Amino acid sequence: MTRRAAIVAGNRTPFVRAGRRYAQVSAQDLLVAALDGLVARCGLAGERLGEVVAGAVLKHSRDLNLTREAVLSTALDAATPAYDVQQACATGLETAVLLANKIALGQVESGIAGGADSASDAPIALDDRLRRVLLDLSRARTPAARLAALSRLRPGQLRPVPPRNAEPRTGLSMGEHAARTAAAWEVSRQAQDELALASHRNLAAAYERGFLDDLLTPYLGVRRDDLLRPDTSLEKLAALPPVFGRDLEQPATMTAGNSTPLTDGAAVVLLASDEWAAQHRLPVLAHLVDAETAAVDHVHGEGLLTAPVWAVPRLLQRNGLTLDDLDVVEVHEAFASTVLATLAAWEDEEFCRDRLGLEKPLGSVDRARLNPVGSSLATGHPFAATGARILATTAKLLAERGGGRALISICAAGGQGIAALVEA
Amino acid sequence: MGRSTGRAGTGPASSQAAGVRTVDGPPPLAPLYARSLLRRPRRAVDFPRTTVRAQGVRADVERVAAFCRATGFPVRDVLPLPVPHLLGFGLQVDLLVREPFPFRLLGLVHVRQSFEQSAPLPVDAPLDVFVRAVGMRAHQRGATVELLTEVSRAGTAQVVWSGRSRYLARGVRMPGTPVAEERLPAPEGEGTLWRVPADTGREYAALSGDVNPIHLSRPTARLLGFRRALAHGVWTASRSLAALGGPAPAAARFEVAFGAPLLLPSTVRHVARQVPGGWETAVRSRDGSRVHLTGRLTRR
Repeated sequence: MTRRAAIVAGNRTPFVRAGRRYAQVSAQDLLVAALDGLVARCGLAGERLGEVVAGAVLKHSRDLNLTREAVLSTALDAATPAYDVQQACATGLETAVLLANKIALGQVESGIAGGADSASDAPIALDDRLRRVLLDLSRARTPAARLAALSRLRPGQLRPVPPRNAEPRTGLSMGEHAARTAAAWEVSRQAQDELALASHRNLAAAYERGFLDDLLTPYLGVRRDDLLRPDTSLEKLAALPPVFGRDLEQPATMTAGNSTPLTDGAAVVLLASDEWAAQHRLPVLAHLVDAETAAVDHVHGEGLLTAPVWAVPRLLQRNGLTLDDLDVVEVHEAFASTVLATLAAWEDEEFCRDRLGLEKPLGSVDRARLNPVGSSLATGHPFAATGARILATTAKLLAERGGGRALISICAAGGQGIAALVEA
Repeated sequence: MGRSTGRAGTGPASSQAAGVRTVDGPPPLAPLYARSLLRRPRRAVDFPRTTVRAQGVRADVERVAAFCRATGFPVRDVLPLPVPHLLGFGLQVDLLVREPFPFRLLGLVHVRQSFEQSAPLPVDAPLDVFVRAVGMRAHQRGATVELLTEVSRAGTAQVVWSGRSRYLARGVRMPGTPVAEERLPAPEGEGTLWRVPADTGREYAALSGDVNPIHLSRPTARLLGFRRALAHGVWTASRSLAALGGPAPAAARFEVAFGAPLLLPSTVRHVARQVPGGWETAVRSRDGSRVHLTGRLTRR
């Protein structure tokens, strides 16, 4: 049997709503901040790690080596290699899986995985026709060729193109996609608001008991996720107007309170072999045991964010486990309705039989074990950072209870999803 | 760079019937530059003992981020080592223009600078900033004046950051033998190329407030006798510090000596060498014939 990668420590910046305190800093700055804190907490200054792998979803073309550039700004040995990964909201967990696999194979002994995103500092592109004119102009060798290129210039092309939060093949925003899935599974407004409330209450309680003290380093004076509303209530959440799904037949249920807003932040996690951790006198929180990615054809009818519905049963089956064997279940709260639709699918006998090919329903998730210290609705969701946030949180939850088994499930744009098993 | 040893003496401001003048905050500098043209330098080759003070000033996130974009530092939770100098620079100009010195502000040449901190300062923390002249000494080409900038967390007495700026006033005659400056080592090697664009001076002027015309454009620089605009010395020093491997130590001192002016636009070479306890740096012209800056970072 191959060895398993140990989850040693995690660190992140507090997450902040886009356009606020981190408005002037880049994804690279955020990644440096998250790495700095981890390096300081684990005593990694001057250390040559096997690799650092991270990514950003909203990425500038100049940031082709985002992670490597960030590493060079830290106290890590400059001989630490790095590479970037991009898999939408699955980025952070996918980086950890890639690194864990290398550790399991003995290719590296240690490394850092994670991600950063700044929705505030998002790239703005040139109009694609203008870009082609400029490229042709740079290739033109004769005045006539230059003139020909320039003659294709139009004033309208000078308008910059901001990033769009829409699926390229469907034209629908992620929220609109989620609203369609919510309607299909008849997820109620109240259930979504209750899940959002639980997320805020659980995260607030986690801060109160110091759970996040060694998972987070203050940045630019921010000490807590600024989206957290410890005093929110079902009444306040119920008063918010729906923002997605207003063009559907069913009543619109998704609001700013039960959806994640654009967020800035970064998160990283230190993985290593057990031997490396022991040599560096760093306690092991848990092990990353296995992972499974899945994708659905969201262009032709499947719910955009439902791929984890498929990934999780495959992962559990491969490991001979059921939902009842899990002590902690972390389901990324892109939208409250996404979590609830996922849980509903696993409970639905017909769906599990006809679509997932299971003999009986996958089962129910005990709500007490679901996102016990809150998730993205309360922390916010800087796309590429979320996976490392959840992985470090999960590992610490297992370490805190003295052992156990946890499942992580994260949905992503492009109809993709990733699930992972963590054990301590 | 030790304390100055010139004839006009050093010593704390308080020992010499000195006053403290408090300003509300960094003053707008363009009017002060204009005013410096009208002012007649004092006759006596001496410097005033006044301290100019600003209380509760902050390096806010926007300004720090602009500084970092211009120089290459990542935006951290703590201020890059040179940033408190920006908070004191306006006070330096205020001191040099409003108090009697035997030279005019415009035309001063920045020859030496050091930044030193015992601990990093958080972004946005309210700070008290004190600026005073601490010495003059004879120089082969005139006289130099040394300004000391001291920074403490607001309301505390402990100085955690200090900077020494030495400016040359050409043509000022000062009795005494010119004291040779300690030379900083200039590391050799190919180093890295910096392509420094023409608007570097304007960008740095906008964020630092140092709107000295020599940095802004070719025509304004020509008025003051330079062929082209030149980069701010503190910009060059900051970019050099930012280019060193990893974060600077929490307690550190970075001292630089400025050589030939870095004319804009330019392509120059930055050479850095790790030495026990720190780094040595040099910014040279691309062909290596001129040295624009030598620097030394030491862990404290």
